[in-house]
Amino acid sequence: MAEKLSVTVPPHIKGEDQIKTGMRDVAIALIPLIAVSLYFFRLNALVNLSVAVGTAILCEYVMRKIMKRKPTIGDFSAIVTGLLLALVLPPTLPFWWVILGVVIAVALVKELMGGLGVNLFNPALFGFVSLVILSQVFGFMNGYLGLGSINGVTSATPLTFIKGGVLNGLRPGYWNLFLAHAGGALGEVSVIAVLIGAAYLIYRGHIRWRIPTAIIATVFILSAILGKNPLYMILAGGLMLGSFFMATDWVTSPDNNIAQLIYGVLIGVLVVVIRLYAAPTGAVAYSILIGNAFTPLLNRVFVRKRFGAVAPAKVEE
Amino acid sequence: MDYKTFRGGIHPPYNKELAATKAIEDISLPAEVVIPLSQHIGAPNAPTVKVGDRVEVGQKIGSTDAFVSAPVHSSVSGTVKAIEPRPVFSGKMVESVVITVDPNQSTPFGTVKDVSALTGDQIREVAKEAGLVGLGGATFPASVKMTPPKERKIDTVIINGCECEPYLTCDHRLMIERGKELVGGLKLLMRAVGAEKGIIGIEANKMDAVDLMSSIVSKEPDVEVVVLEVKYPEGAEKMLIDAVTGRRVPPGKLPSEVGVLVQNVGTAVALYEAASTGKPVIERVLTITGPAALKPGNVKVKVGTPISHVIEQHGGMSPDTVRVVMGGPMTGFAQKDLNVPVVKGTSGILLLDSETVASGEERDCVSCDRCIEVCPMFLVPNFIAKYARRGKWELADKYGARDCFECGCCSYVCPAKIPHIAYVRKTKAELAAAAAAAEKK
Repeated sequence: MAEKLSVTVPPHIKGEDQIKTGMRDVAIALIPLIAVSLYFFRLNALVNLSVAVGTAILCEYVMRKIMKRKPTIGDFSAIVTGLLLALVLPPTLPFWWVILGVVIAVALVKELMGGLGVNLFNPALFGFVSLVILSQVFGFMNGYLGLGSINGVTSATPLTFIKGGVLNGLRPGYWNLFLAHAGGALGEVSVIAVLIGAAYLIYRGHIRWRIPTAIIATVFILSAILGKNPLYMILAGGLMLGSFFMATDWVTSPDNNIAQLIYGVLIGVLVVVIRLYAAPTGAVAYSILIGNAFTPLLNRVFVRKRFGAVAPAKVEE
Repeated sequence: MDYKTFRGGIHPPYNKELAATKAIEDISLPAEVVIPLSQHIGAPNAPTVKVGDRVEVGQKIGSTDAFVSAPVHSSVSGTVKAIEPRPVFSGKMVESVVITVDPNQSTPFGTVKDVSALTGDQIREVAKEAGLVGLGGATFPASVKMTPPKERKIDTVIINGCECEPYLTCDHRLMIERGKELVGGLKLLMRAVGAEKGIIGIEANKMDAVDLMSSIVSKEPDVEVVVLEVKYPEGAEKMLIDAVTGRRVPPGKLPSEVGVLVQNVGTAVALYEAASTGKPVIERVLTITGPAALKPGNVKVKVGTPISHVIEQHGGMSPDTVRVVMGGPMTGFAQKDLNVPVVKGTSGILLLDSETVASGEERDCVSCDRCIEVCPMFLVPNFIAKYARRGKWELADKYGARDCFECGCCSYVCPAKIPHIAYVRKTKAELAAAAAAAEKK
C-alpha cells in the first residue's frame, strides 16, 4: 500500500482550471466574430483562418521538437495565436504572407523567447506588425495593408476616413460598425460579435474589465478632447478586438489592478496619437505592443499593499 | 443574507457531508504509543522519564523551562520502551517517548471542579501545565498567546469555529457535542486576558452549530455568535479577525496588536477540561475522512497513536488510496509512513483516491493573475514562485514570501499547476539560513 502513496506539498486538491481551459475559451469567444467574417469574406476568410491555425500548430510542434521541449499543442495557445493573427489581417492577403506572419509570431516571438508564459510581446500582434513593417520596407503588400487599399472584395479599414478627412457620407455608419460591415481586417467586421465573445470571457473569469475599459474610455475621452468623433474612434478599426482579446493577454499584460488601469490608459493614448498623427491602420497593434514593453516595469513599480500594511511594498531589482 | 468575510479566498468543494453528522467515537488503544517530545511551536522539551519507567495517564514526560513551550504528557498507562528520534507528520525526526501500553489503564480526571474562582494567572498556569497548544493545527503554546505584551489591551476573544478546511468536521462535532464546555473555555480565555467581549465565529455551512451555540450563549450578554461566509481560508487567524472585527493585523505582527486573541474550538474545550478536571492534552478529536475512507467519521484518539491504527480501527481505506494527509487537504501533510503518530495538532486523517488528488505537470506561469486575486494576504504568489525558482530569495520575499502563511489558495487556482507553497517554504528556509549565517559572522 505504502508504495502507492505519493507525497507532495499541499494543497492536495486543486481547482479545475488549466491553461488549456482558458485558451480554449478564448477560441470559443472568437466564434461569433469568425462567423461574421466568414459571412462577409467567405473563402478568403476560411483560407486565411485555416492556414493561420494550421501553420501555428505545425510551427509550435516543430519548434518545441527542435528545442527539445515537451509538446504543448493540447493547450490551444497556438490555435488562439493563429486565429488572432488571421483576424487582424485583411481577408485578401495571399496566404503565404499569413504563413510568414504566423511563423514570426509562433516560432520567433513565442517559442524562441521561451514558450508560452515567458514571451514579452503578444505573438499575434508582433507577427502582424512585422508584416506591416516588412511590407513598407519591400513594398510588396501595397494594396493589402496600409493606406488606400480598396479592391473588389473589401474596402479599406474605415479608419482611413478619420485621418483622410473623407466626407461623412462615405464612411460606414455607427450601426453598421456596431453590428456588421465588410471593411478592414477580418476581425474588424462587427463590434457586437467582439463584445459577445468578451462577455463570455469575463463571465468565465479569464479576463477582467480594467484593461479594456481603460483603453476604450481613454480613446473616447481623448478623441473628444481633440475634436474627433469619439464614437467613431472606438467603434471603427481593431480597437474592440484589441482591447478585449489582445491587451488582456494574460502573459503580456500587468498583474496589478492599478498597473492594469495605467496600462490601459497608456495604450488608449497611444492609439489616439498614432491614429491621428501617424498611421491610421495598425495603431491598436503598435499601441498594445508598446504597452507590452512597459508591462515588466509596471509589474515592478506597482506592487500592491499587503494585508494590514500601511504602505505598499517596494521592489528594486 | 450576507455573511461577514475577508477579501480574496476560494470556494473549493467542501465535502463535509462525509463526516459532519457522525458523532465522535472512541478508538481502541494501540499496543504502543509514540509521543514526540515536542508537539508545539517553540523550544523543544527534554524527557522527564527514562527507559523502563512506569508511566501513568496524564503524567508529564517532557518539559523545558523556556517560556515559549508546552510540556507533553503520557496518554496511556504503560512502560517506557525507548526514547529515540522517530518520524513525525512533517517528515522530520523528533525525539520521542515510545511507551508499551499496559492492558490496565488508570482513569484519572473524573472529578469536575468549579472553575469560576480561577484568576487570570491561574488560568494561564492551567494552560501551561496541561501542555495546551493551538489545536487547530498551528500548535502555538496557548499560555503564551494568553500572555499578551503589557502595553496591549485585549478586548476581544474570538473562538475559531470556521473549520474552513474542506472535509474536516471535528470542530463542528465539538460544537454540537461539547458546546457548554466550549463556552466555559471561552469565558476562561476572556478572564485570563481581561477581554470584555467573546465571539464565536462559525461558517454558514454549520447552521446547526450556529443555532446550538446561540442558544447556549443566549444568557451571556458578553458572548456573541457571528456567522461567516463559507470561504477558504475564513478560519485563518488574520482573516477571521478581519471578518469579525474589521481590524487588520499588520504584516509580521500578532493578533494582540489589534487587541484580539483567537483560539480554536478544540483548544477552548481542552482548556475547560484542563481547568475543571486537571486533564492535560493527551487526546484529541480528529476527523478520518475522504473519498478513500471506508468509514468516514470523527474519533477521539490518544496522542501518540499511529495513524495506521486509527485507519484500521475505523473502517480502513480503499485500495485506491493514493494519498494520506494529516490535516486538511489545503494545508495538511502527505504521509508515506503510516506509523507516524497522531499529535496534538492533528485535526484529520484524510484519505484521497486517484480521482480527487491534485495532479498535473508544472508549466511556466502565464500571468493569469488568479493567484493574485485569491491571495488573502494580498501578496504576488506568481512572482514569489518565479524568483524562488531562480534562487533570488530576497526578490521572492519582496513579493511577500515571508508574509505568506501557506493557505494554498494560489496553487489551488493555478492553471499552470505551480507548487507555490514549495517555493515559499524554500524561500523562507534559505532566508532563515542566510540570516543565521550572518549572525555567526
